[in-house]
Amino acid sequence: MGKEIVAMLLAGGQGSRLYALTQKLAKPAVPFGGKYRIIDFPLSNCVNSGIDTVGVLTQYQPFVLNEYIGNGQPWDLDRLYGGVHVLPPYQRASGSDWYKGTANAIYQNISFIERYDPEYVIILSGDQICKQDYSEFLAFHKAKGAEFSVAVMEVPWEEASRFGLMVTDENDKITEFQEKPKEPKSNLASMGIYIFNWDILKKYLEEDEADPNSENDFGNNIIPNLLRDKRQMYAFRFDGYWKDVGTIPSLWEANMEVLDPEHSGINLFDENWKIYSRNSGMTGHYVSGDALIQNSMVTDGCRIKGTVKHSILFAGVVIEQGAVVEDAVIMGGTVIKSGAHVKHCIIAEDVTIGENAIIGDEPEDGGVGDVATIASYVTIGAGAKIGPKAMVYESVKEGEEQW
Amino acid sequence: MVNTQAEALGIIFPNSYDSLVPELVSDRSMSSIPFASRYRLCDFLISSMVHAGISNISLLVRNNYHSLMDHLGSGREWDLARKKGGLNIFPPFAQKNLKIYTGRIEALESIKGFLATQHEKYIIMADANMAINIDFKELIQAHIDSKADMTMVYRKQEIPEALLYPNSNFHEFYYTFDLDGTRVKKIYVNPKEHGEQNFSFNIYVCERETLIRIIDESYVHGYSYFTRDVIARHLSDMNVQAYEYDGYVAQINSVKSYFEENMRLLQEENLDQLFKGNSIYTKVRDDNPTRYVNGSCVKNCLVADGCVIEGEIENCVLFRGVKIGKGAKAKNCVLFQDTKVGDGASLEYIITDKNVTISPNKYLSGNDSFQVYVAKGQTV
Repeated sequence: MGKEIVAMLLAGGQGSRLYALTQKLAKPAVPFGGKYRIIDFPLSNCVNSGIDTVGVLTQYQPFVLNEYIGNGQPWDLDRLYGGVHVLPPYQRASGSDWYKGTANAIYQNISFIERYDPEYVIILSGDQICKQDYSEFLAFHKAKGAEFSVAVMEVPWEEASRFGLMVTDENDKITEFQEKPKEPKSNLASMGIYIFNWDILKKYLEEDEADPNSENDFGNNIIPNLLRDKRQMYAFRFDGYWKDVGTIPSLWEANMEVLDPEHSGINLFDENWKIYSRNSGMTGHYVSGDALIQNSMVTDGCRIKGTVKHSILFAGVVIEQGAVVEDAVIMGGTVIKSGAHVKHCIIAEDVTIGENAIIGDEPEDGGVGDVATIASYVTIGAGAKIGPKAMVYESVKEGEEQW
Repeated sequence: MVNTQAEALGIIFPNSYDSLVPELVSDRSMSSIPFASRYRLCDFLISSMVHAGISNISLLVRNNYHSLMDHLGSGREWDLARKKGGLNIFPPFAQKNLKIYTGRIEALESIKGFLATQHEKYIIMADANMAINIDFKELIQAHIDSKADMTMVYRKQEIPEALLYPNSNFHEFYYTFDLDGTRVKKIYVNPKEHGEQNFSFNIYVCERETLIRIIDESYVHGYSYFTRDVIARHLSDMNVQAYEYDGYVAQINSVKSYFEENMRLLQEENLDQLFKGNSIYTKVRDDNPTRYVNGSCVKNCLVADGCVIEGEIENCVLFRGVKIGKGAKAKNCVLFQDTKVGDGASLEYIITDKNVTISPNKYLSGNDSFQVYVAKGQTV
């Protein structure tokens, strides 16, 4: 028996604008929100929406991601038929190739999709924080009799020119597609989440592959081709929380928004739409008598003896006595030694911040501004100073400064 | 075949000493009592066994085992969902025994057929009334090196107060023994002496064949209790060795000791000792991280995931999903999972079981020698 719908999750992106955070891991594997990785969101959305077959297309630095996904059990995606499968580029009788673009990545896995003989394929992106019920999107797709649907968000008109925009008629039918236009005719931005009828997708992927001038990209090639042929194309308006976390400031901001679910709309406390993740297996977190914790999220394995304000601590973070952490995202296993001041920054996994070191600073205007970032496994020496614009890849010696 | 596995299988008696903590086991067994913010007592033993390469573990339950079965499921979280071995829960086989087993001998008799078909050379038996992170590999090696027929684990300590002065329902046994070198010379049943003694942990290692032989011989004589009726009588003809454990242990002998053992983990060195080395596995609940909302105040606490803290907590152990309302205060409390403390409520020396709701502005207090226990699902 075939599957009604198969999800294909694009997780091959390098995430080069996350710089120090994606040196050793792919963007979808970047930690988020205290105990998650970005990819937990689309995977959990799939299983919560009743989609049990997911192909994860990987290419850049796949090891962390492969190990993390494993057999898919944390997301209940270990299935006899279906489940989650990691799909790196592979060699075929006719030769092999890296994934040349988003469309080519799917093209190279046509035979994977055909194993499940689906009616629909949903294309998901591995670099967004979003809680979305894909079954509602599919119901819309079916109700409209669409051959292609795209999930869109209303964005403020003044920002519209930064996005790929869908121009629609009164029935949400797409009449035009504008990629980052100077003069936007619409404020409906594509979220990069598409549902295709499988027969249509396959036809256009094959056509696209045959075109030597194509960039093999959904936005630049497949969607314009569908429009050219006047296919049944509809835009599905999504009004929940959605954030592209492709840059350091946006990643920091999205983490901070987790701390304010009442206003930001990203609620990780929803019993009916849990976000699943692979468990750290650590004991509950310990807060000493000297600690001060305000408006923060703390998870298993943390030991807190210092001051933590408006911050997110991942599993196993140690904050020593007298250390101050403010507006910061501190990823798993990092140790902040006594007297260190850590502010308005992202610190990756297994970093050591030496005694009395100073990391980052609040921007003068109180906005997001610059977010100091420290790559994983780095050691910052005692008394070192790391400025708010710094992007630290290598260890910094005692007392040195980096701006 | 590469043999990285310990050549042993594990047997756990989840209901031993249930009668010491009647409140906590009204809906569960000793082994499934929540402990240390996100674990159940059995997690410690099972994880220790798994880390020693033991992947064939049986639990011989007697009663109230729904919560244990719910907790363990297929055993996957302990890496025990296996084709060979893995996790087995043996409910009482009532047809054969007509009554539920009282002692280890009867319990083991009921699974003798199972034991006879296993391949592991050694067997480890243990009760689940303690949280312990013991190296079973070392224990098995010590047993092999000493060429003993049987090795029993002990600790030099005083007999816990709850055993010296038990409640009227207590009808179980505990043991101390005299040593000649490392060999056990004499076993005392329910002794009342004060002061440091060789206190048995009821953890035994022996060869599987030896155990089967003992069961056979004892069962026909109508013996029930492994230590009292068999081991204590055969110290002259069996080489019974003692293995001293000097690491961290949390022994649960009463509601009071349960409370105190939780509080003891608020000293970081104790927490480090109990959780040193290999991690302790438990059922995953996929809670979000714990959220400290503005206005919260937290001092000296152990907190699991999924909590929302808006009020003040001091010297508390919070299990998963506990909610502390605005202006609420909890001091010296152990709050089981999904306890809700309403706005402005105040608690001191309280143990709340699962899903307890404390209404807003209520004041509830025990004291350091008597902690008030609120049963599962109650609204105060």
